[in-house]
Amino acid sequence: MDCWNRDIEGMPTEELRRLQYRLAKRLVSRVYETSEFYRRRMKEQGVRPDDIGSLEDVRKLPFMYKRDLRDNYPDGLFTAPRDELIRYHVSSGTTGKPTVVGYTKRDIENWSESLARGFSSCGLGKGDVFQVSYGYGLFTGGLGVHYGAEKVGATVLPTSVGNTERQVELMQDLHVTAIACTPSYLIHMGEVAEKMGVSIKNDTDLRLGFFGAEPWSEQMRNRIEEWLGIRAYDIYGTSELSGPMFTECAEQKGIHIWGDLALVEIVDPATDEALPAGEQGELTITMLQKEALPMIRYRIGDLTTLEEGACACGRTHPRIGRLRGRVDDMLIIRGINVFPSQVEHTLLEIPQVGKHFQIVVDRKGALDTMLVRVEVSEEAFSDKITDLMVIKRTVEHRLRGALNVGVEVELVEPGTLPRFEGKSKKVIDRRSL
Amino acid sequence: METIRPDELADLQLKRLKWTIHQAQNVGLYRRKFKEAGISPDDIRTLDDVEKLPFTSKKELQAGYPFGLFAVPMREIVRVHTTSGTTGKPTVVGYTRQDLENWSELIARNMTMIGLGEDDIFQNAVNYGLFTGGLGFHYGAEKIGATVVPSATGNTRRQIEMIEDFGVTAIHCTPSYALHLAEVAESMGKTLDTLKIGIFGAEPWSESMRAELERRLGVKAFDSYGLSEMYGPGVAFECPEHNGLHLWHDCYLAEIIDPKTGERLAPGERGELVITPLVKEALPLVRYRTGDVTRLMDDECTCGRGQKIARLTGRSDDMLVIRGINVFPSQIEHVLRALPEVGEQFMVYIDRVNHLDEMTIEVEMSKAGFSGELQDLTRMQKKIANELHNTLGLRTAVRLVEPGSLPRFEGKAKRVIDRRGIL
Repeated sequence: MDCWNRDIEGMPTEELRRLQYRLAKRLVSRVYETSEFYRRRMKEQGVRPDDIGSLEDVRKLPFMYKRDLRDNYPDGLFTAPRDELIRYHVSSGTTGKPTVVGYTKRDIENWSESLARGFSSCGLGKGDVFQVSYGYGLFTGGLGVHYGAEKVGATVLPTSVGNTERQVELMQDLHVTAIACTPSYLIHMGEVAEKMGVSIKNDTDLRLGFFGAEPWSEQMRNRIEEWLGIRAYDIYGTSELSGPMFTECAEQKGIHIWGDLALVEIVDPATDEALPAGEQGELTITMLQKEALPMIRYRIGDLTTLEEGACACGRTHPRIGRLRGRVDDMLIIRGINVFPSQVEHTLLEIPQVGKHFQIVVDRKGALDTMLVRVEVSEEAFSDKITDLMVIKRTVEHRLRGALNVGVEVELVEPGTLPRFEGKSKKVIDRRSL
Repeated sequence: METIRPDELADLQLKRLKWTIHQAQNVGLYRRKFKEAGISPDDIRTLDDVEKLPFTSKKELQAGYPFGLFAVPMREIVRVHTTSGTTGKPTVVGYTRQDLENWSELIARNMTMIGLGEDDIFQNAVNYGLFTGGLGFHYGAEKIGATVVPSATGNTRRQIEMIEDFGVTAIHCTPSYALHLAEVAESMGKTLDTLKIGIFGAEPWSESMRAELERRLGVKAFDSYGLSEMYGPGVAFECPEHNGLHLWHDCYLAEIIDPKTGERLAPGERGELVITPLVKEALPLVRYRTGDVTRLMDDECTCGRGQKIARLTGRSDDMLVIRGINVFPSQIEHVLRALPEVGEQFMVYIDRVNHLDEMTIEVEMSKAGFSGELQDLTRMQKKIANELHNTLGLRTAVRLVEPGSLPRFEGKAKRVIDRRGIL
């Protein structure tokens, strides 16, 4: 077994659990001492740090949800002093304000360490040229993968996303061997390459890739591997955990969640009860070593299963299976998380449109498209056609600003969109994997 | 290192110059060039002996595309950036781990020099990715322990909200984007009170622009200079005296030459900046002609740091800087020549609209390609704009015109009309 960190990756299960218990205990004591939020929550739940006498006792702790981040915007949940923070990333929130994640130096190191283990487990290292085609900047994908790839000593080519023809050219000219991006962008790149007369399989040195930030399937993996002549690995994470952080190993039998960094539970979203290994439920994670924003029993909203036995690769840490959907109405558009509530929130701030809207998600070629149909208010509707163009552009601009993803807007007459009694169905998703 | 004694500095420079020449021997181009010039590394005994060495041009760097000028094996290269070339292919620069260390160290020096530290929240509002400005400052700011907000460019309202909500104290962007930011902030009724420092670079800007930015954003504005071939930003930087940029002489050996004759100019004279890096491992460019016009300043700085260069005022070649991106007219020509539907003639117009640069390219259709059908023209226009975007990394407006309608030039063609005025 080629390991980045053999002592940790191959640690016997019992020892790993003891380590997890020590880390959890330390974490709970620390946040109880230093954070008003955690102290209040634990008191409400009637649990004290002393009550954590075993790893199972973590289940006594209260859950955390995305709304806790929103309610404490921007930094109310941070548990490290401000002068120790070295980075902020920002991702979509459920309404107007984004989710803000802070990092200490050690947080960044652990994030890179986690990816270095994953990348190495798939045979990536010195001598590889790694094209990072995730977006750089506030989105965690670009910088996260960048630091991990740098740690294993690969040559990092930070292309970020976009300008696809140039990306294909660089892939070919610079002898790129590995890539990270969303699976749909990879497919788009493959199609653009073919239009340019370049076969990624035959004309480039690409041999492996890490694909995530949106759900994909085994069928898609098979298609990608065969078509592009590469090994395709799943990579998982959300900004609340740090960013993309965990990957499959060369066995491709689930994503290894490093137990010294994260404690995984699968919870029944209806009853909040912990589910046994193998059963599908909501992924819930406690970040055991994060200093700035630990997230204890955080309900991520992704549905999956947990596999606890050792992997054929020899690594002992638990694995999660493919993502099976969401417990909420979150959409993933070109790798960006979008909540319908964000759309609603943004529209409410624009007086010329009414409160009724509909979202239609589709796939054009390999790339997701999002159309928002909006009813114009009665007053605005009676005005001239030129004004409607201005309103359309304003709505597009504001939605783009709030969601960080390009959106097409269609203005419709007042009263034309369906009304719902009970639970409204505002989203039509026509994509299939 | 910042206030090293002049004699000690000279010793260090000479030692490091010899090392760079030695490192350059790993590159085929330099073995050949040194041989042609009849010079061996042993001939470099004093700093002035650098004049015996041949220059390196951007063309030569490009001819080595992609990795021909790397002086270390690929296994040692941990990063690759690209920057504009003068034709269709970009210029590729590489970094070893030590190079990344050196680069961050230089930016850390600059940021510390203007009073930034671990209590600061630094919004890095330039492009990340292949452009060196984003990751360069990101690593430097991380090194001094500041909190980095990697906002990159675009979404100006969100940028302003973050400045306000996070209490951002320092921002890095192009001066023109800063002006745009100020305007949007004013329209939103935001005063951005926490912002103290603005670092502006990647395009030339004037003292009157400084006054305007300092007034409207309420910051102290600092000029930053660098080029990807010398890592990226960080080569020279203003100190709080705001009178010239300190060049880091322990890492870069600077000369000013007459761009026409290649002769070295006397101190104080204005000419082209030529740099020999002293610590670069992956890409040791000997006497690299930057194309930037400046002068070495004689006045000692009250801050005690070393010799400065004057603010950059122009280019010795025809390179343009559009929204912080370097563009060579020859790149545009290269793209257009490859398209059969396009004729020989083109014109480039550069304007500033709402403080942001806009480039418009007028292209004559070839007689064969000119069908007159609106649909064909629209498709053609899109294709040209797309090809230009791929090569330049920049969106341009393309206007198609009839064959024979653009000006013809006898002698030197003047295809670029820059209507921006001084920033």
